[in-house]
Amino acid sequence: MSPDTLTAQTRPIFGNGEKANKLAATKFGGKLVSEYWEGVFRAKEEGKTVVWYNGTYIPPFFHAHDLVWVHGEAWAAMLAARHREIGAQARGDARGYDRELCSYARTHIGQMLIEMDKLKSGTSDLDPDDPRIETMLKLPAPDMIVNAYPYCSSGQQWDDITYRMFGKKVPMFTIQIPLLWGGRPDAGYMQGEEWEQRSDYVAEQLMALTDFLAEHTGRPFDFDRLSDSMSYVKRAAELRLEAMDLCTATPSPASFFDWIVSIAPVNFLPGDQNLVTYFEGVKAEIETRIANGEGAVKDEKYRLFFDGMMNWNKVGWLADKFASVNACVVAGRYTHMSFWQEPQLIDLENPVRGMAQNYLICPNNHGAPIMIGEIEKLCDKFDIDGVVCHASRTCRGMTNSQFLIAGSAKKYGRQAMFFEGDVADESFYKDELLNVRLEAMIEAIDARKRAA
Amino acid sequence: MRDCLARMEVAVSAPLTYAARLKEKTGRPVIGILPMHFPAELAHAAGAIPTLIQDDPEPITVGQSSVFNFYCGYNRSLTDQLLRGAFDGLDAILFGDHCVQLLGTADVIRAERPDLPILFNQLCTTLDAGWAARETRGTFSQLWQELEALTGQRITTEAARDSIRIYNHNRAQIRELYALRQAGAIALSARDMQTVVKSSMVMDKSEHIALMDGIFAGLPSGPAQGLPIYLSGHMCHAPKPAILDLIESCGAHVVGDDLFTGWRYIHADMDESADPVEAMTRWYLDKNRRVPCPTRATRGGDWETYLLERIESTRARGLIILMVKFCEPHMYFYPEIKDAFDARGVPHLLIETEHDDMPLEALKTRVETFVEVAGRKAALTTA
Repeated sequence: MSPDTLTAQTRPIFGNGEKANKLAATKFGGKLVSEYWEGVFRAKEEGKTVVWYNGTYIPPFFHAHDLVWVHGEAWAAMLAARHREIGAQARGDARGYDRELCSYARTHIGQMLIEMDKLKSGTSDLDPDDPRIETMLKLPAPDMIVNAYPYCSSGQQWDDITYRMFGKKVPMFTIQIPLLWGGRPDAGYMQGEEWEQRSDYVAEQLMALTDFLAEHTGRPFDFDRLSDSMSYVKRAAELRLEAMDLCTATPSPASFFDWIVSIAPVNFLPGDQNLVTYFEGVKAEIETRIANGEGAVKDEKYRLFFDGMMNWNKVGWLADKFASVNACVVAGRYTHMSFWQEPQLIDLENPVRGMAQNYLICPNNHGAPIMIGEIEKLCDKFDIDGVVCHASRTCRGMTNSQFLIAGSAKKYGRQAMFFEGDVADESFYKDELLNVRLEAMIEAIDARKRAA
Repeated sequence: MRDCLARMEVAVSAPLTYAARLKEKTGRPVIGILPMHFPAELAHAAGAIPTLIQDDPEPITVGQSSVFNFYCGYNRSLTDQLLRGAFDGLDAILFGDHCVQLLGTADVIRAERPDLPILFNQLCTTLDAGWAARETRGTFSQLWQELEALTGQRITTEAARDSIRIYNHNRAQIRELYALRQAGAIALSARDMQTVVKSSMVMDKSEHIALMDGIFAGLPSGPAQGLPIYLSGHMCHAPKPAILDLIESCGAHVVGDDLFTGWRYIHADMDESADPVEAMTRWYLDKNRRVPCPTRATRGGDWETYLLERIESTRARGLIILMVKFCEPHMYFYPEIKDAFDARGVPHLLIETEHDDMPLEALKTRVETFVEVAGRKAALTTA
């Protein structure tokens, strides 16, 4: 409907009513994710060993060892994205977890409590109409717990609670991925003494992880299978980066929100041909769009950068929100600075150290000067007009340094704005605040462009 | 005794002013130390004036520009102090905890004060990992070298041992005070105990040791009146003295605590006969076995079990948990404590504290009720 034909009754409260032009190829990812969770739900029936883990993308180690893995954050994000998180969070609240605590953790722990309630009551029968049933019924209990959190102290404590909830009987392994502070004279992005030392340290721990997995399954770890799995991960990562690079085109053929829904494949899905097929499809669609001059946003006028963790309750909502003011969020810290961001570091003959290095360079594990330097490079590369900071209430790992990031954006002639929300607790999101700030930002960008 | 406490109180009320005066007098550099796990002994051995950076009572104003309001009061206070210029007298800051909020503050400090050296050394947080001892030794050795480079002065093994000896002595003095209070031999208020511990974090060690001797010389004898209560929590910084006063004004008296500005800070010594780096390493790695800390990971040792044991050994009749608003490690572990205390039938009360002013009258009603309930339960148990 043309804006001219809109009446007071049909006119949207905010924006022009346009929707995001999402990549069709990402639907294949939705199918893969559904299949993955189905596999998780069947794990116990199939006699599989289940490992729960939190933090960075270590599933290739589990895949190589024929385990079934549950990523706590992915579980919480999935519940939030399907608007099924509230029951789990309420159960966490009932035990005394403060709502200022990481909402990923509250959702995951709340889910654990629900499962335990069922065990204690001797029934797993929920009311057939219970909205929790679809996604909560079958989460299998862990046989092992692995914690591998870069930067965020909250992650370690979350898994400590998981360990306790299962009576301290489930073997647990904690990998420390230390911050790359970057304070030594030779420090830089992927360079310097600290980088080399930390790479060795994390690689050593990953080797110890393989011993842990072997010890608790009674099977030797298969490094050939790890290399095989990583060959697909590496190729998928290369394709993802190539496709992202194509978004320097104007209009941008894909948006940050397309990359958000493409995180699952490179974060926790099994390293196999499906990953490569997925990103081949994404890249091909992007190439087609470029050839046709088709953008992710109709009549793209503004190019934005998204800083902060995703608001998983609001992925589609936010994609449409920005599209409705002709703003394409082209890139983001969470999507463009993580998830096998440096695939060339992975030597398929001996992949562990390169994997460790990719874990170290997750988007918040650098001290601010180096991290912000990388953000600025992305903003230059994608010709960004403004930076949108999502102040995710309970994810302090991603809100740290946001004032410095906003300051840096302004220093280099870009607009910057904040909006409040959260990773998995919708109650922290304030829609009207985002509306007025986004309107103000695009007006300021317009004014700047006119002045230029 | 009151004179000694008054001198401690002066240092506590303005610790950075105290450090600046000492620096002026001695010419020694001032090194700010961030909680909770770094040994000030090394900075002391390097000839510096170590001062554990405290939350200050000023309302957060200019700091709001660089830190979100959903960060703990201590982090917001640090940022505010930084932007008010309160850290201008520091010659370096010793940092390295893995608390995600403190990491953000470290970057704000670096951005605002690029000239201020930050000795950033992140400790291994999984204390029972196979590599924990090696990594911790490496971290303290690195810190040793960085302090030498900063001060331009070699830290000898003997100097480090001397510092360890002095710190051990001071800790032992304060532990003795704790033992006397627990035994009911003295009636020292929670506020006064906090002053003693807090001043030991910021004062010249020799001066503090002398003041402690003065306190022992004039201790008022006799047990304190009221229901014996144990205080727990409040990591990284001290609770407001007004809250301690309020608790004790409601008919309770504190007989023990695991507060950071309390027993947690002084509970353990380093081995004076060992190699200093090894002594610090053992001191750090053994922490959780002695007083469990929710910021560290170990498979053994439960905070709630420790607290239940402490309730018994101090003969406390209830537990008051002081939780700093937005303190994530404490928020994770509070339900563990609550469930364990409920299961054992030990009365407990959660008080969430804030940097900004708190409604003390409303809090008073809660504490009065708690003391009444816990007192009634104690009477029934005794009967």
